[in-house]
This record gives sequence, C-alpha cells and structure tokens, in this order.
Amino acid sequence: MAEEFNTEGMLDMYLFENEQLLEQLQDRVLEQKDAECFDEDSINEIFRTMHTIKGSSGIMMFDNITAVSHKLEDVFFYLRESHPENVPHLDLVEHVLEVADFISNEMDKIRSGSPVDGDASEIIARLDKFLNMLKNGIKQEGTEPPPENVHEEPKQFYIAPVATSASRFYKIYLTFFPETEMANVHAYKTVYALKEIAEDLLYSPDDIIADEGSAEQILKEGFRILLQAQCDEQEIRDIIGVGYDIKNVDIFECKAEEFLQGFDFGEQGVQIDLESSVEEIENKAQAEKKQEESGEKEEKEPAKPKIAPGDFVIKSKEPGKHKTLAKDKNKGEKASFISVNVSKMDQLMELIGELVISESVVLQSPDLKVPGLNLNNFNKAASQLAKISTDLQNVIMSMRMVSLTNTFQKMNRIVFDVSRKLGKDIEFEMVGEHTEVDKNIIEHISDPLMHLVRNAVDHGIETNEERAESGKPDKGKVILSARTEAGKVWISVEDNGKGLDRDKILAKARKQGLLDDSKSDASYTDKEVFQFITLPGFSTNEQVTEYSGRGVGMDVVVQNLQAIGGTLDIESTAGFGSVMSLKIPLTLAIINGIVLETGNSSFVMETGAIKEFVSVKENMMIREPNGDEYVMIRGECFPVRRLGKWYGMSAYKESVEDGMMLILEVEDKKVCLFVDKLVGEQEIVVKPIPSYIKKVKGLSGCTQLGDGSIALILDAAGLLE
Amino acid sequence: MSETSELKARTEEGQAVPNERDEQKGKYMTFKSGNEYYGLKIQYVKEIIQFQAITAIPETETYIKGLINLRGKVIPVIDVRLRFKQEPIEYDDRTCIMVVNVKSTTVGLIVEKIAEVVEIKEENILPPPSIGRMEKGQNKYVYGIGKVGDSVKLLLDPDKLLNDEDLSAAEQSDDVILEEE
Repeated sequence: MAEEFNTEGMLDMYLFENEQLLEQLQDRVLEQKDAECFDEDSINEIFRTMHTIKGSSGIMMFDNITAVSHKLEDVFFYLRESHPENVPHLDLVEHVLEVADFISNEMDKIRSGSPVDGDASEIIARLDKFLNMLKNGIKQEGTEPPPENVHEEPKQFYIAPVATSASRFYKIYLTFFPETEMANVHAYKTVYALKEIAEDLLYSPDDIIADEGSAEQILKEGFRILLQAQCDEQEIRDIIGVGYDIKNVDIFECKAEEFLQGFDFGEQGVQIDLESSVEEIENKAQAEKKQEESGEKEEKEPAKPKIAPGDFVIKSKEPGKHKTLAKDKNKGEKASFISVNVSKMDQLMELIGELVISESVVLQSPDLKVPGLNLNNFNKAASQLAKISTDLQNVIMSMRMVSLTNTFQKMNRIVFDVSRKLGKDIEFEMVGEHTEVDKNIIEHISDPLMHLVRNAVDHGIETNEERAESGKPDKGKVILSARTEAGKVWISVEDNGKGLDRDKILAKARKQGLLDDSKSDASYTDKEVFQFITLPGFSTNEQVTEYSGRGVGMDVVVQNLQAIGGTLDIESTAGFGSVMSLKIPLTLAIINGIVLETGNSSFVMETGAIKEFVSVKENMMIREPNGDEYVMIRGECFPVRRLGKWYGMSAYKESVEDGMMLILEVEDKKVCLFVDKLVGEQEIVVKPIPSYIKKVKGLSGCTQLGDGSIALILDAAGLLE
Repeated sequence: MSETSELKARTEEGQAVPNERDEQKGKYMTFKSGNEYYGLKIQYVKEIIQFQAITAIPETETYIKGLINLRGKVIPVIDVRLRFKQEPIEYDDRTCIMVVNVKSTTVGLIVEKIAEVVEIKEENILPPPSIGRMEKGQNKYVYGIGKVGDSVKLLLDPDKLLNDEDLSAAEQSDDVILEEE
C-alpha cells in the first residue's frame, strides 16, 4: 500500500525541515571538503543548523538526536569562537557527515514508525574526543577551556523562581579588549556560564546572538548583566573567568529593588514584567507554553535559549526572533516555492492522463463517422481542446522535472567516503548537474549511479602507489556528467583509472562458459567483452571489498536501467580509465507510441525504438532448419521475431506478405518485428502492469487506447534478448 | 461547543464504523462455478461488473485471463473455473466479473453466475472435511463449509484463491535475492 503521510502534522514538518537542513548541511560540507578548513560562513551555518535540529528534536522529544546535534553544535561553537588552528579538516568533515547520517537514519525510523532507538553514545564519545583534542592541541597551558555550551532541554519551560531571602543581587559590568572579535559570542558564553547559578538573569544588549551589531556595542559600552543568585562575588568571578578576552569585570552587589528596576539606562525595547505577581507571571508563562505546544513550532534560533532558565518574561525577544526568521527566509528565495506532496502530483498526473485518454475517446467516437455530418464547428473546438490538453501535459511534465543536482551531490558523498576509506586521493567533478529529469526516473537511477561511482572509485582508480608506479602524475579523478540529447538523458561516470582488463574478463567469461569455444578471444569486440561484466555473478575483482566485488553490482545496474527503458554503454581503455554511460528516457509517464495489432490483441511500441516500417515479400525471407528466420532488406540481414508466435497467441497472420515488419533498433542491435497490422501513432499514458501479474519479458507496461480497451506496451530491449 | 464535543465523542467511540461492519459481518457473496456454490466474505467484494473485453497477457498462467479497464484503472482478471481446474466454458451474458480487493490487490474474478448475498452464522460453518475430495488443488482455497438451509456453500479464502502457493514461493525467493543485493 502506498505510504501516506499526514502533511498537516508537526512531525511531518519536523521531518521535512530537518531533511532539508541536513541536505543543505551535507552540500555545504562537501563543497568545502577539499578546502583547508571551513570558512566563517560555513561554521556559522553548521552551528545554526545543528542548533535548529537540536531545538526541534528537543520539542519532538527525540533525545538521541538532540544529544548528537548538541555535541556537534558544541564542536562548532568552539570552532567559531576560538578559531583554533590546525584543525584536522577531513576528520571534522567526517564527523559532521557521521552526525548527519545518524540523524537521517533516525529520521527514517521516525518515518517508518519504528522506535527512535539509535545509540548516540558512540558518536558523542568520538565527538568528545575530537573536541578535547582540538582544545588541548591549541592551548597547551592550563587556561581553562571555554565554558561548555550548556545542554538544556528546550521542551521544558522555565518560570521565574521566587526570590528567596538567601538570594543576592549583582550588577556585573564586563569590558572586553577593543580588538576582540565577536565579542557578542564571548558575552553569550558568559551568560551561559552564569545560568548555572542564576536564579534570574538579565543582560544588555539583549540580542547578542542574532544581532551582529551587538558585538560593536559590547566593545564600546561594555556588557551589562543583572544577576540574582545565591552565591558571593568571588564565585561569580570564578565562573566568568577573567582572561578570555575580557579586560575587566566589575561586580557590584545591589538591592532587590534596584535589581528589579533593570538597567537604569533604559534599554530600548527591553521591558521586564515587574508589576505582575508571581502568579501572573506563571500564568503568562503557561500561556506561552501552551502556545508552543499548540503546534506553533518555532524555529529555535540561537537567540532563544538565552531567555530560557530563570528569565522573566521579556517582551523584547519577539522582534529579535522575527529578525532572524526573516533573515533565513531571504536566503533561498523560498517564498516563490511551495512544496507539494508527491502523491498529489501523481494524482494530478494521473488525472491529466485520464483526460488525454478521454479526449481521444471523444475525438475518435464512432458517432462522428456517420457520413454526411457537418463537423466544421466540432473540429474547430476539438483542435482547441487538443491544444489545451497538450499544454496541460507539458506543464505537468515540467512540474515533475527535477534537476539532478541532489543525486549528484549524493555521489560526491560516496566518492568522499569510499576514497577516504580506501586511502585514495580522488577528485570529483560534476558536469551538467542541472539537467532536469522526471522525478520518477531520478528515483530509479540513484542506485545504479551509486554502484557505478563506487565501482569507479574502488576498482577503476588505482591506489596512490600504483598510480605513482605507472607514472600517472595527476590525481585520480571521477567525472559525473549529464546532458540531454535526442529526447534522452545521458549520464556518464568517467574515471581516469586503470580501465577494464579485457583479458581478465575474457578469461573469466571462458571459465564460466560464456564464450563460444569455436571463437578466438580476438574475435570478440571490446563492446561485447565489456558487456560480460553486466551479467549476474560476474566480478573480476578477486577480493571482495566492503564496497564492491561480489558481482551483484553491474547486473543490478543494468536491470534497474532496463526497468525504466534505459541502457548502459561501457567504454574503456586499458591504462586510461573507463566511461560508463547511462542512456535513459526523459520521462516515463507519457510517450509517443505506435499502436499495432497482432492476433486479437493491441500492442504499443515506443516510436523512438522503431527505425522503419517495411512491407516484405516472401522471397526476402531466409529460414534456417531450426526455425530461425531472417529477412534481407536492402542487402542487410535482420533476424525476425514474430510477435504472435513469440507470445504463443492464436489467430495471428502467418504470411509475411499480409502483415508488417517493424525494424527496431536498440543499442546498435537490430531486429525485425512482425505484426499483423499497424493502427496509428498516438500519445500514450504509460501505466504499470498490476503487480499481481508477474513480469513478462518484452512488456514494459500497459495503456488505455482511444476506445477504452487496453494495449500492452512492448519493450524493444526485452524483445531483443 | 458542547454539541461538537458530543459529536466528537460519538465519532471517537466509533459507532458508525462498527455498525457498517456489523452489517457486513457473517454475510457472504455467493456465486456458482461448476456444480457448486461458493461464498466469499462480502467485505472483500468491491463491485460486480458486466463481462467486458479482456486484453490477454502472454506468458502467464492460464487462469489469468488478462487485463480489463475499470474506469481508468487497469486490473487483472482471473477465471475462477480455470483456477479450480475445471473445464472452461463459453462466456455468456450471465458471466460476471466480481471485483475483489484483497490486501490492497484489486483483482477481477470471472464467475459463471452470481447468486445472492447470504448470511451464514459462525455456528453453521464447518471446517472442510479432511477426507474425501482430497484432490490437492481443490481443497486449499476452501476454508469452511457454510450451511444455509438445506444447501451448502463452499467458503473461499480469497488470499489463497488469488495467490498460487508455488508462485508466491517463487516470488518470495526472488525477493530474498533482491534484498541480498
């Protein structure tokens, strides 16, 4: 049964948003994987992404995701405010990807409804180790590490605690060295540290994270904190810790009244709810909590946590938040896109298909064939209708077209992972990743591409040592390219590795009894030889590695491609690398087809596969004693396949002079298909054959004809086998 | 407010749904094939349509007659007589296609003649006799024998009716291979 998601739910939003965030994250990380280190923007973005995921996962109570994202956030928090040098960049990239994988894995579990039980402790431990290494690597002297980005559960809501008699009130003034960069972050850090002990905490400027300008303000005017806590001045000093770019810390104890007055310099917009009694504040807090629960899932921007524990309800947080949200929006021009559930698109597609069919039912209605009818007006209206429905089809098709960028990005990831594991130095290049393909097709080519890319990295490209030995100066390189040509999409995976070993393949093929013993090795063309590797159970790699070598890869690639009417072309030069080209149709849903009849059944053959129609004479036929037939057409000899006989049907035409020959061409192979009768060309809407019926060779689907009857769609590649 | 909550409460209790189910409970669609009458739980039966032209599919089991177009949806049809390994008969105007939906697979069953909808109480259903009629192909689809007055109906397990055991076994092993990949 098709999986249906309730798009309204919070969970769906959560999954959807996080999925996008993770995708962006991965793109970002992979983009810079070859750089020396992440640039400022990326560090900020990764930090932000992790923070958002942490926040929303906290609300949804997926604790392991929260924990992992928190840990990575810590790492980037450190990177962003300490600017450590000598960060092992590739390790860092790997850590980020690992976390991204973990989270997407957990999200899959959420989606399928199974418990979110992934064990995060291992990853966290690794990240901890990494973080410690970073810290120790940079600061040999015993300066204390920056305060941890305190983990708090965003799902909890804190209300202002009642001041007890033991509480003391402090005004704290921090001044930073004027050359300090990102003073706001340092201030934020301090605030975080103080939260540990604070019963209440207020600071100015208040918008230190979202507002970048606050750094300047802090440098100029200092950073002011109002603190209510049960500890003495010395403890506070210890917590703040002089030395980390803080020039001076002034702490004044004050009275409760003074504290409640807030900052006497009248901060713009900061209002503290002072007059309300504790109950009122509590009520308000509860109201807010409700609001949060009622599905208003707010993005947990970094600005949010600072008002978490022990704060009064500070109204000024609202504008701050709006600002950050708006900022995010602007980035991807998201406003001009809406995301639509795929099943709705499919439904629309199906309906348009129905419309196209019923249009032809109307236009081919037998009632119109009555002689003597004046159809002038009807024909005018009909051509208008036909025009609109064609436009409609084009529009829906264009809506379903998706660029290959995402798929290619995934391959980038694979190259990165595999080459790292195998210790090969490999460059990855994408060409024409913006080529657009029908969404259904993208789903089908992702796996084959993955196999091919893995193969290229694992088998194709030699190890660094081998490359050096064979005198190849350049780095190993994998080029993934896409282009459209003649209504097909060509995607090729090219590597500059060692190429396919023709002799090895031949030897293996001979061992497996695939070769004709009477033929010499030399009589096989390269193309024929390379085709062997697409057979099941054929792998020349002696060693099975984690990635490939079990001999199930290439035949699956070919199978998957055939399922969508695609083909695989292999070219290879020993010593210089190989090119695997996939040729796939642009779209699956509506194709141009020739309707034909054999026996009592109608069939459709895709127009693109037919080279020509020929009416042949009996004397052009050549028959072998074993029943194989050939036909000579203009001096060329084609094998003949009689459709009726092939499918064991009844009442088909025997004599070749009564029927029609179709010359089909698939991948340079040609065959003559003999059918009874041609009916005509038509746009057909491809429908799958119900899964209840097992797959029949040579049939790729079915469709509904103008008269409502069903025709089977022939698959030229299947007929050639 | 109170009205809506009341309504809500009622629907939450789900009274409407069980009612419908209660109505269907114990009811069987009966049809004739060969000399026997067969019964199929009515909740599996979606609709009964007139016999229409079938597009044959090559290289399938003989009892799978082909595909029909049910208002734009392509569904396979099987001939119940052939499924029971009975002699095929000519289709006439009494031949019907009973569209059934079993585990989200929609299949049309060609039956000789639709009989009626009968109610068979639980206590009137006997397990199929273990001796007699031991012909293997026959017994596996029949999970019980329902008594209605003097006559008996053979009650069919639709899942077994649609899925050939050999076939599904083969398919399953295929699946296993695919998963390994």
